[in-house]
Amino acid sequence: MTKTTLWYLVFALIMFSIGGVIAISMVRTVVNRETDYELKRTLRQIRDAAPLENGIWVLNQNPNISIREFPPGQIVKQDTVLKDTLIFLKRTDRVEVYRKLITNTKIEDKLYHIEISNIFIEEGDIISVVSWIIIRLFLFLTAALLLGNFIISKNLFRPFEYLLKSLDNFRLKNNQSLSTQPTKTQEFKRLNEFVEEMTNKAILDYQNLKEFSENASHEMQTPIAIAKGKLELLLESPDLSEEQLALVQSTQQSLNKISRLGQSLILLTKIENEEFSTADVLNFSEVVENNVANFQELGEMQGIQLTANIEQEVSLKIDNSLADILVVNLLKNALQHNIEAGWVKVKLDHTRLQVINTGMAPTAPTDQLFQRFKKNEQSRGTLGLGLAIVKKICDVNHLEVTYDYQDEVHMLTITF
Amino acid sequence: MKILIIEDERDLLDNILAYLVSGDFICESASSKAEAIDKLSGFDYDVIVLDIMLPDGSGLQILEYLKQDKPDTGVLIISAKNSLDDRLKGLDLGADDYLTKPFHLSELNARIRAIFRRRKLQGQTIVKYNEIAIHTSNHEVLVNDDILELTLKEYELLLFFITNKNRVLTKQAIAEHLWGDNVDYLQNFDFVYQHIKNLRKKIMAYGSQDYIKTIYGLGYKFTDK
Repeated sequence: MTKTTLWYLVFALIMFSIGGVIAISMVRTVVNRETDYELKRTLRQIRDAAPLENGIWVLNQNPNISIREFPPGQIVKQDTVLKDTLIFLKRTDRVEVYRKLITNTKIEDKLYHIEISNIFIEEGDIISVVSWIIIRLFLFLTAALLLGNFIISKNLFRPFEYLLKSLDNFRLKNNQSLSTQPTKTQEFKRLNEFVEEMTNKAILDYQNLKEFSENASHEMQTPIAIAKGKLELLLESPDLSEEQLALVQSTQQSLNKISRLGQSLILLTKIENEEFSTADVLNFSEVVENNVANFQELGEMQGIQLTANIEQEVSLKIDNSLADILVVNLLKNALQHNIEAGWVKVKLDHTRLQVINTGMAPTAPTDQLFQRFKKNEQSRGTLGLGLAIVKKICDVNHLEVTYDYQDEVHMLTITF
Repeated sequence: MKILIIEDERDLLDNILAYLVSGDFICESASSKAEAIDKLSGFDYDVIVLDIMLPDGSGLQILEYLKQDKPDTGVLIISAKNSLDDRLKGLDLGADDYLTKPFHLSELNARIRAIFRRRKLQGQTIVKYNEIAIHTSNHEVLVNDDILELTLKEYELLLFFITNKNRVLTKQAIAEHLWGDNVDYLQNFDFVYQHIKNLRKKIMAYGSQDYIKTIYGLGYKFTDK
């Protein structure tokens, strides 16, 4: 709005300047013409006042007129000249510009030299008067424009401002159409219609996606459950050879992987859709403590020592189940990519959560390990989604997560 | 023990029936909400296996009906929705347990029996297998009337074995039963062997037979055959 006004004013300034120059030259032309006309009229009056013999003296009393009679017989070229001249004026004590008519003319068989002068309006005066007018006009226009703008944006742009505000407050997952203000302005009407249509489409798409991710979970897990059950029943049948048992087992493992893959991808979608947003603050220390306790025994069985140093009453604004998933994924990651007789250390204080573990050197750059399906060569058989889930949870909860590696020690840090 | 399985997926229903019927269960099935309500109003069941998503409504509505009309029936929910919300809602409405698809049939069997023991017999039950008797009310195991000292995990393992006697239990099914879903990150479940070995040693020390048969590479089977 202010930008448009500014441009209007710059444009107006240019136009007014050009207009000023034109006005000055026009005024000068008119003044010239009028002055010349006045001089010629005076000449005509002198001519009409003939015979002049007695009048010359009287006329010469006028400081602006000088008449002189040529001696008879002198050959004089009869012509009329108009020119500008400078005359020192005692009255104002300075040199003024005068317009002068000089003519040699014949009045009733006698030749006269007549000079008539008239004070001329000075160029400087014209310029200053015209500028004065233009500047005031410009100031008046500026004031009018600003006032007009104010009124327009208060009234005409109200539906637009309203639309901006409701766009600002618009949230996809609220499943609520955008509210607009009815308007008679054609452009805003179209804008309102367009934005309404667009947001409704977005809401619909979002709902569809959400429904899909939920249905996909159900629809995919059921056939997997069926297949797993059939394999389990197959194991019951007598006289299966070792080879056959091995085939059943490896099929079972693949099914487990598909099942986990589906669940992880759906989880990622759900987190992306911000289905887990919360305003509640939970006791994060408790979440970490419980999960560390759960994994301690599993770690022991793998020959990995899991120790924790947890500061109490660390609170965090995060969804309950997301907090759980976050910590579980971090711990699984640390245990999974460990070495024989390795260790995992968990540190929690009010500024950050750190999971430090022994492990082989990563073959991929550490920051890339947050990408989906990106994993180290030695981690074949894993899904490669654990850290992607960790990253996504951190992203939606505005937490910073970093991955550092040095001398066979991996360190994942989440800064609150 | 009389069981009603409410599941609309025919194949899954067949799997469950095939697995459970070979035990001492009397199984009936319903594949819709209407059919389920119909059967529930006519007969009494000990335990109901309930799928949440049914073609003509939510399984949670059946839960509400049961809570009002048949509060003595045990309910095990099976659902593909691995969400905490559904789990809490189901348990709030009076379900006894919640199992997420896909599950091991052996796990389903163990959970149904656990519900039955808690519900019908107020925990006063003895699970017997030849010379072994498990008093589930006080977690006591007797072998030839001598008290056998077991760790909690060994106790759970033995109960799981006897509940699924004569069946092949994969190492993974055992691991998931004892340590929950969190074991899914592990590449192999060989650590189960350590617990099996200890259990076997303890039972045999009390003069019991070695019932735990190893099925090479796959898992174990508890059997006297």
